[in-house]
Amino acid sequence: SCLSLPSSWDYGHVCVFVGLPESIVAAACSRSGRRVLHVDSRSYYGGNWASFSFSGLLSWLKEYQENSDIVNDSPVWQDQILENEEAIALSRKDKTIQHVEVFCYASQDLHEDVEEAGALQKNHALVTSANSTEAADSAFLPTEHEPLSTMSCEMLTEQTPSSGPENALEVNGAEVTGEKENHCDDKTCVPSTSAEDMSENVPIAEDTTEQPKKNRITYSQIIKEGRRFNIDLVSKLLYSRGLLIDLLIKSNVSRYAEFKNITRILAFREGQVEQVPCSRADVFNSKQLTMVEKRMLMKFLTFCMEYEKYPDEYKGYEEITFYEYLKTQKLTPNLQYIVLHSIAMTSETASSTIDGLKATKNFLHCLGRYGNTPFLFPLYGQGELPQCFCRMCAVFGGIYCLRHSVQCLVVDKESRKCKAIIDQFGQRIISEHFLVEDSYFSENMYSRVQYRQISRAVLITDRSVLKTDSDQQISILTVPAEEPGTFAVRVIELCSSTMTCMKGTYLVHLTCTSSKTAREDLEPVVQKLFIPYTEMEIENEQVEKPRILWALYFNMRDSSDISRSCYNDLPSNVYVCSGPDCGLGNDNAVKQAETLFQEICPNEDFCPPPPNPEDIVLDGDSLQPEASESSAIPEANSETVKESTNLGNLEESSE
Amino acid sequence: MCLLGLRDTGVGKSSIVCRFVQDHFDHNISPTIGASFMTKTVPCGNELHKFLIWDTAGQERFHSLAPMYYRGSAAAVIVYDITKQDSFYTLKKWVKELKEHGPENIVMAIAGNKCDLSDIREVPLKDAKEYAESIGAIVVETSAKNAINIEELFQGISRQIPPLDPHENGNSGGIKVGQPPMQASRRCC
Repeated sequence: SCLSLPSSWDYGHVCVFVGLPESIVAAACSRSGRRVLHVDSRSYYGGNWASFSFSGLLSWLKEYQENSDIVNDSPVWQDQILENEEAIALSRKDKTIQHVEVFCYASQDLHEDVEEAGALQKNHALVTSANSTEAADSAFLPTEHEPLSTMSCEMLTEQTPSSGPENALEVNGAEVTGEKENHCDDKTCVPSTSAEDMSENVPIAEDTTEQPKKNRITYSQIIKEGRRFNIDLVSKLLYSRGLLIDLLIKSNVSRYAEFKNITRILAFREGQVEQVPCSRADVFNSKQLTMVEKRMLMKFLTFCMEYEKYPDEYKGYEEITFYEYLKTQKLTPNLQYIVLHSIAMTSETASSTIDGLKATKNFLHCLGRYGNTPFLFPLYGQGELPQCFCRMCAVFGGIYCLRHSVQCLVVDKESRKCKAIIDQFGQRIISEHFLVEDSYFSENMYSRVQYRQISRAVLITDRSVLKTDSDQQISILTVPAEEPGTFAVRVIELCSSTMTCMKGTYLVHLTCTSSKTAREDLEPVVQKLFIPYTEMEIENEQVEKPRILWALYFNMRDSSDISRSCYNDLPSNVYVCSGPDCGLGNDNAVKQAETLFQEICPNEDFCPPPPNPEDIVLDGDSLQPEASESSAIPEANSETVKESTNLGNLEESSE
Repeated sequence: MCLLGLRDTGVGKSSIVCRFVQDHFDHNISPTIGASFMTKTVPCGNELHKFLIWDTAGQERFHSLAPMYYRGSAAAVIVYDITKQDSFYTLKKWVKELKEHGPENIVMAIAGNKCDLSDIREVPLKDAKEYAESIGAIVVETSAKNAINIEELFQGISRQIPPLDPHENGNSGGIKVGQPPMQASRRCC
């Protein structure tokens, strides 16, 4: 289909790239009556905030391995730049993702009951870091029009120590290209071994255990049920009293989404996963805590709820870390651990006493609003959230155009303002304001920038890290850093009722601030909590660990602390959004969006509640909201699940 | 229950929805501004079916429909304009998209709108019927302007929607946040 836009159109704003902050700004601007055009060269919403079906994720992976789309077509825009103008070329290739590695442990054999995956030898498709570095390097080759990416090359050489295959998990083969094609390219980071190759080269083991097997999940099943997966690139949760929930409620964008409460907070101690009691009821029902501990913990948490009222309790300790402070309190080491890692969610060195108290208070404050833990997760994944804001933008007239790339910004030499963008067809789109995600800028736009990185792993597993009566638990687990210079790893385990994975599987997200490549950072934790999937029925404790069917590692750039001043010569009407940060909540994106909105639309209300949809439809002209809804934030007084067929009431605004 | 509308821009989907929900036709209903949901209850046998209609808000225009529209939808109405052959081709693209990305048992309905203008028709009803049969969809020619077949379209969908199974899919317990006061509910359908 021809996507060319009518040339006479001009817009109030142009957004390029569709991340969460951009989507929020777009919704807010559209809501304030600005004309918004949202353009993205990708075929999906959300940029690095997106979530994918399994096949969608495979295509995403493929995109990062292929060099094809950076082959240069000569820029059509250069002859379009007039004498009094100059162009800022935008980057064509996204460089925010690196060190992509995929491992498949599930049986890839299409004829089930023939092959035992557990018997495969490890000489297959093992990724060594050296190879992946080389591969990643060439996979991110710059185009002729972009200077060499010094940043990412530095990252690659600096941060890739020589860990050999002995550190690697046993790999049965990696297959990343979907069910039909097998992609074989030595320039890719990821090895591919087709099922056919494997069955040729590998002796097929006898099926020694003839009993019927439960939970037997093959790769082809994952492919077949691929639509059931919604795999987030960014793993975050919503604090039930965080800025994003408040914004969703205020703007009524919340009506486009549904959430699940995180059901458990877990801790990992002495090789065991255990549940952390955090609410009053949890504490009293806990079997791990002694009576004395229960009283101690309740007393301390009660103090944290209103710590500001008792300055004497912490005044002398402001100079030390929260970890040291906890030692001075009447808490057993067990309780200190729980408070530090699972409630304040910090580490031994990261937080001062005050920061720790604040974090603990925030955690407690969020408890009980929607359930037993402070966190919510959107059904179908975090990637729904940018889409919800995009919908709000579209409802108020915003225009959406995916698969539409932008070649450059056109800057007026005299006013130093950006006038227009030139798209892939060489067409100019004129606008007043331009909102660009930083990944769109090529390296010559900024100086002295050292990006942080986020290490990510995504696992599909066959059971929960902590088995209970219900198999539908959503859990967050913090695994503290073991060595200095490394960071705590956040593990979020999603069950199938979150609509992010197929029945009988769990989707596990691991996240930490990078110190090395994603696999080097996260594999030690993966090995502690999981074992590779095998068909063998081993009669020992080991089997109690969840088994990994499929694993993905990658690094994502974290540009959240890069300020505008890092960019050279940025026109004043070009606004820069950063990609996702490493934090658990979404406050950073919301703050960023609100700040940008205030710059674009000074003194206007940020995402006010929309009018009742049924009012608007009756009369297409009276679009102005009457804002009749109360902005009071409802509380979770109806904790009980009410099965209601009268769903409309939930969606319609209250009168 | 949820319903999702897809269309090629300008074929009159909003008019259909408007006629269905409010029995009202506005010649100048131009773009779908501000509309996001509309609801209407239709009796079907012993049950009442509440249609929750999501408008695509123009996001389909440059083929940029967000996947969130498909979530939990029980039915999709895809509208084409019988006076524009192109809109029928686009419809086929949407069907493909839905088959690839939509819920597996979604009920599809094809509505050839503007049947009041059959003297300038470009898409024969036979073509539409054959195509609909090949994909197992309901097909109906409608006129939002003259209120032809609109009720029938939605009743047809209503009859095909399987009864609610509360135990299905572990589909329950999603939390809605915000106004009106929070309530947990089953995702539609």
